[in-house]
Amino acid sequence: MIAALAFKNLTLGYDRQAAVLDLKTEIAEGSLTAIIGPNGAGKSTLLKGVVGAIAPIKGQILLGALSREDVAYLPQQSEIDRTFPLTVTDLVAMGLWREIGPFGRIRRDHRAQIDTAISAVGLTGLERRLIGTLSGGQVQRALFARLLLQDARLVLLDEPFNSIDARTMADLLNVIQRWHGEGRTILTVLHDTETVRTHFPHTLMLARQLVAHGPTAQVLTAENQFRARQMCEACEGPPHRCGRSVA
Amino acid sequence: MIWDALLQPFADYGFMRRAILGSFAISVGATPVGVFLMLRRMSLTGDAMAHAILPGAAIGYLIAGLSLGAMTIGGLIAGMAVALLSGLVSRITALREDASLAAFYLISLALGVLIVSTRGSNVDLMHLLFGTVLALDDAALILLCSITSLSVLVLAALFRLLVLECADPQFLRSVSGLSAFAHFIFLMLVVLNLVGGFHALGTLMAVGIMILPAAAARFWATSVGSLVLVAVAVAMFSSLIGLLLSFHYSLPSGPAIILVAGVAYGISLLFGPSGGLIAQAMPRRHSEV
Amino acid sequence: MKTKRMLLKSAAVILALTVAGPAAAQANKPIPVVATFSILGDMVERIGGEHVAVATLVGPDGDTHVYQPTPADARAVNKAKVLVVNGLEFEGWLDRLIDASNFNGMRVKATDGIEPIAFEEGDGHAKHDDDEKHKDHEKQDEHAKDDDHGAFDPHAWHSLSNAVVYVDNITATLSKADPSNAATYYMNRAAYVAEIEALDADIRAIVAKLPADRRTVVTSHDAFQYFGRDYGLTFLAPQGLSTEFAVSAKAIANLIEQIREQKIPAVFIENISDPRLLKQIANETRAAIGGTLYPGALSAPNGPARTYLRMMRHNATALARALGS
Repeated sequence: MIAALAFKNLTLGYDRQAAVLDLKTEIAEGSLTAIIGPNGAGKSTLLKGVVGAIAPIKGQILLGALSREDVAYLPQQSEIDRTFPLTVTDLVAMGLWREIGPFGRIRRDHRAQIDTAISAVGLTGLERRLIGTLSGGQVQRALFARLLLQDARLVLLDEPFNSIDARTMADLLNVIQRWHGEGRTILTVLHDTETVRTHFPHTLMLARQLVAHGPTAQVLTAENQFRARQMCEACEGPPHRCGRSVA
Repeated sequence: MIWDALLQPFADYGFMRRAILGSFAISVGATPVGVFLMLRRMSLTGDAMAHAILPGAAIGYLIAGLSLGAMTIGGLIAGMAVALLSGLVSRITALREDASLAAFYLISLALGVLIVSTRGSNVDLMHLLFGTVLALDDAALILLCSITSLSVLVLAALFRLLVLECADPQFLRSVSGLSAFAHFIFLMLVVLNLVGGFHALGTLMAVGIMILPAAAARFWATSVGSLVLVAVAVAMFSSLIGLLLSFHYSLPSGPAIILVAGVAYGISLLFGPSGGLIAQAMPRRHSEV
Repeated sequence: MKTKRMLLKSAAVILALTVAGPAAAQANKPIPVVATFSILGDMVERIGGEHVAVATLVGPDGDTHVYQPTPADARAVNKAKVLVVNGLEFEGWLDRLIDASNFNGMRVKATDGIEPIAFEEGDGHAKHDDDEKHKDHEKQDEHAKDDDHGAFDPHAWHSLSNAVVYVDNITATLSKADPSNAATYYMNRAAYVAEIEALDADIRAIVAKLPADRRTVVTSHDAFQYFGRDYGLTFLAPQGLSTEFAVSAKAIANLIEQIREQKIPAVFIENISDPRLLKQIANETRAAIGGTLYPGALSAPNGPARTYLRMMRHNATALARALGS
């Protein structure tokens, strides 16, 4: 197994409070992995660490052969300014950054790529609409289209299906499948275990510490879920107390 | 007949020609910067900056006496310091840009008053610091045109970066390390245009030309590029009409220009197709997909 | 009996000394005087000499119209035996300062007894009403309230005959406050007035040489009306032409026309106002920029107008030179 991503004794957190504690595992290249766990388990923090928004307190995150440009990240809460005068096309075109940078011109073939991405997420016809006039689901589709254009080897999605309609979710899951088919490595934070069971072959269960990581059927057991809840409850206090085993 | 009323004043008087040239220069240079300020919700920066430059001007005065050059350069340095410091604080702490700017400009203003008061004889520095559009000499015109040229070049070069930095700074940070660079270059452009504008044209005109046309353009344009174009057009138009009003009806020039821009804003607010009041009240003609 | 008479005599001498002693000591210690601005300060020093210790509130190159007093000023006023003010609402901030400082000495209004010039409608200190430039002043409100110009033009010191009245008023009050040195004060006054009158004669001679059609001047501070009245010169101000705040284009155009028509040769800049507007007008009318005039303050000690008399001579010479050329 070629590791796209390796966590080596990783402790991550804010203000010296560990949100992720001593994580040691590897994500295989080309895998489609869901990250689940109770609230406060450190899932979002983990993704932020991978994308470089926060530095490890201890340990390392190794990106294998990948550089920063090979990683695409969809945060849980996009900070995009919805009142900004941008059209859907403008927003999606941002995904071309890796290719054209701050000064490159958008050529005809780029335009074709943009249109393809827009239709892949089902937004055809809305190219000229201002993002302020879109619904939540439409914005999420547009953000996915941008991700498509980024053409990244490693895709990180943090709760991508929050507050969107079922139809959109289904369409976006198709996009994810497509990526998986193209051999990209995908890490997705989710809280809906049904979706995980149906669509994600691998799962990493996190409750600050690693609970389990492997094929979904093996990881997503009632036992593990119980253990995870216990670990998180026990970890109300400062990190060093979390050394006890909870079995 | 009308042609006479419109063109004669400029034909006859050098000061009118310089005034319109200076106004056009600042319309082209500062107004686009104002568009970005507005998009970043920093429209009050102009007023804050007018206060923030005081300690720099005061130090310039202490060093070189009543030299406009020294005081303006001092003011520029002070303004840059305040802008950059507040930008830095807003990037690395939880404090947002408006609050950090407010904090620094107040500190700067108090410092400035203190410095001025130590000098004993109370010279009205602020009075000297701010010019008027009717008193543009060669030096001030050259200053304005240089700043405009620089602004246009920098904005054109950094356009995409700036748009991204305003619209989705999170995304920009995740794909590029140039985010901070763009932010600070932009702040420096703001200070440059403001201080140059203060020096040549006074605070009212400098800040007014930056903000009002941008606000008016918001109701007409739906992309950043067209926002800039409409705003510049409004600014130039306001300058022309304002100067003519000042000439034919004895109105003070700076306020006249800004009031015309204000009227343009009011009209845009009412009739602008993109979010204007009347457009909002009318039922939509087409059903959207 | 000789001893008794000697004792009595000694007692009398000692008594006299005891009485005269403090008085003599008093006569040696300078009395504290506060003058509101540098021109008055200079006059008080000329008249009082070593018998006065003068503190000036608005120093050289200062602008009395917009001055903001400091706590140090309040202390100085509190300690002063005599306060010398110009009057005619030149010092709009003064009443507040006097209240704050608990002044209980003697006050002399230098302009008492002069014949003031009234401000015309639409004339006046538009420069200080320049809202655009004052936008950042909190004291803009005080300004409008205290009104740095009342009904009369306060710049009366630009007339040398008024200067004599100033000097008389100051001498009278100083003598009342410090009678033991009154003789000295009057002596100094006499010498000073002689110089003033000599200067007056000089200036009249200089102005007389100017041709009749070259007696109009443009300056940006409306302070020289008294000078104009005394010596037959006319002073035009660009901002003086507008009724309210900032300058209008029309006002400037009118002024340019006027200068062009009357071929006014000189435009002047002062040490406390914006020279750029004047330069603009001068460029367009091909008038010369005539040098610096001092409208409301003395220059720094190393400048050409460090005393009142030097200031008046400097102004007159500069005007005549520009107009005569």
